[in-house]
Amino acid sequence: MEKYFDISYIWNSLPVLLPFLRVTFMVAGLSIIFGTFFGLILAVMKLGKSKVAQKIANFYTTVLRCTPSIVLLFLVYYGVPALADNFGLYLHDLNTAVFVVITFTLQFAAIMSEVIRSAYESIEKGQFEAAVSVGLSPLQAYRRIIFPQALVVGLPNFGNGLIALLQEGSLAYTIGLIDIVGKANLIIAANYNTHALEIFIALAVVYWVISILIEKFFGKLEKVFSKGKQTINTN
Amino acid sequence: MLKIKDIHKSFGKNEILKGVDLSIDKGDVVVILGPSGSGKTTLLRCINFLETADSGKATFGDLQVDLHDASKKDIHTIRQKTAFVFQNYNLFNNKTAIENVTEGLIIGRKIPKAEANNIGKKALDKVGLSDKYDSYPSLLSGGQQQRVGIARAVALNPDIILFDEPTSALDPELVGEVLTVMKNIANEGTTMLVVTHEMSFAKDVANRVIFMDGGVVVEEGTPHDIFVSPKEERTKKFLKRVLPEDYTFYI
Amino acid sequence: MSEGLNYTFLIDTFFIALSGVPITLLVTIVALLFALPLGFLLALTRINQVPILNWFSRIYVSFVRGTPIIIQIFIVYASVPLILSLFFEKYNININVYNINPIWYAFIVFSFSTTAILIEVFRSALSTVNKGQLEAAQSVGLSNFQAYRRIVIPQALVVAMPNICTATVNLIKATSLGYAMSLQEITLKAKVAANVGYNYVEAYIDIFLVYIILCSLVEYGFKLYEKRLRRYKYVSA
Repeated sequence: MEKYFDISYIWNSLPVLLPFLRVTFMVAGLSIIFGTFFGLILAVMKLGKSKVAQKIANFYTTVLRCTPSIVLLFLVYYGVPALADNFGLYLHDLNTAVFVVITFTLQFAAIMSEVIRSAYESIEKGQFEAAVSVGLSPLQAYRRIIFPQALVVGLPNFGNGLIALLQEGSLAYTIGLIDIVGKANLIIAANYNTHALEIFIALAVVYWVISILIEKFFGKLEKVFSKGKQTINTN
Repeated sequence: MLKIKDIHKSFGKNEILKGVDLSIDKGDVVVILGPSGSGKTTLLRCINFLETADSGKATFGDLQVDLHDASKKDIHTIRQKTAFVFQNYNLFNNKTAIENVTEGLIIGRKIPKAEANNIGKKALDKVGLSDKYDSYPSLLSGGQQQRVGIARAVALNPDIILFDEPTSALDPELVGEVLTVMKNIANEGTTMLVVTHEMSFAKDVANRVIFMDGGVVVEEGTPHDIFVSPKEERTKKFLKRVLPEDYTFYI
Repeated sequence: MSEGLNYTFLIDTFFIALSGVPITLLVTIVALLFALPLGFLLALTRINQVPILNWFSRIYVSFVRGTPIIIQIFIVYASVPLILSLFFEKYNININVYNINPIWYAFIVFSFSTTAILIEVFRSALSTVNKGQLEAAQSVGLSNFQAYRRIVIPQALVVAMPNICTATVNLIKATSLGYAMSLQEITLKAKVAANVGYNYVEAYIDIFLVYIILCSLVEYGFKLYEKRLRRYKYVSA
């Protein structure tokens, strides 16, 4: 009888799986770009003076925080084309990746709006006041004084957001995206559902390594950017 | 050179400034005294538009502005002509001492970098920090940070420097070094408007002292007028409360 | 599908989705009951640098945080029956592993992942409590255990509460992946109902609403509890 568990399946599946990281990264990358942009808008709404804008942005964040990724994914997958029908647009044949990107853009925007807001709020008001008092325009004050400091504060949270996004992105296979998880499921199906465990372990290893790399990368980045802060620890 | 007319400011229901007038000539060193909550700091912040006054007029040289709705351009112009020294220093945490001093010169005034660096170094030398050009604020003591703050103001060569309680966040043993620096720049003829609790500085350095209480100017005059022969009851009461304790510290 | 939403179905399915709430909550509560004490103990091993356990907790946390839950579910769902059937065979226990209620797998997966999250939550909370607090407690004659129980833990708990809240909300959300183990929770129930007439949009709107209501209530509950815990902070302020 064949072995229940055959470690060689892990090694053999890796070269097949890894190329499909391209899809995973592409989808994640687009979601990050759009999500960060949208998140910035939300953060500006939260920090601005308009009470209505604040309410809307906060409501959006709360709702998104309370929605499981898989639910959002299917809501977008079924909901967006149905909604488009009302406007006479036919979107049912749209590439699956588009729905995945929409979903995770929506989700990442909520995360980023909080990251940006808290980073901004961590910078004392006095920094801005000092900047304008030496004759910088408000825009220059944000760009040269507030932003570089907020970036350092927000960087670890941004890194955590990336890792979270990458992991939630693993659900994209449920609507048929052939990313690394989708490919893994295809391999398992081709093996008549045997040796699924080995393939899943290979998947886990891939994700684990990527997460550790992202973490390490952001740790390094933080050090590079924390001008003026690096000395605090030694005090 | 700087005239403020009938400035009002409330925070919510709290009326902090109830119509203050102020006039400062070139070369003046004016000290504003008064109990906390008397509106001294708010007055200073309104002059630099860090707060927006509810009403009031300011005349700055030949520039006249409404303190309540000045245009962005006027605000920018006035900020270019003034400098501010903050109670809690507010050094740019992401910039070294020299970068803190040159930031306003290079970015705000478009002065070439090399020239700005020269000005900045001179300013830091003046406050006794020749060995700290490249230190980040987190490496400096409170007194050193505030001296960078003063250098940052001096380097701009402004028409007037506004000091907002520059020593009250400092440990007592660090107050002296900052006051000495302030005295030196006052002796060079810098126009200064100083909110402080340091009576010794008011007596020795100021040529005019203003006593504020409850959002109005109660009394003003030379240091001699105020400290030796105050006319108003509120001034006398305040000095009685503040001075004995101060004398033991500084005389 | 352009005929708009099927409102009767929308309303009916809302209650079907709602009927999955007890299972969702059961899994959540069991996972928390398991993870809170274990997470705390392992956090202590991290703080106190207990030789082997510290090392183990680190890898454990890193793995759970570094891999998607769905893959953790796949692994548990694929490996536990293998291990169990070997075990049952060896000891001649006559249970068919494939008849085991999936909720047991859910318990295992979600306890396993929540423990790791809580290790980090407690570790950072404990490290914010000033070391002087422990020393002061010991100086007035409390034992190490008493000092933790009476002084350190109550303070750490206040710090940890918002993060425990986030962890709980994330856990509730994660149980939606129970479908992969045929767990009869909110998502699966509504989805099955939708299979009949392809009313997926309605079904997912219902699921969406149920989660928002559930998570908002949990967040609100935590906020109330935090307020009570925070009392001592007001006094000292």
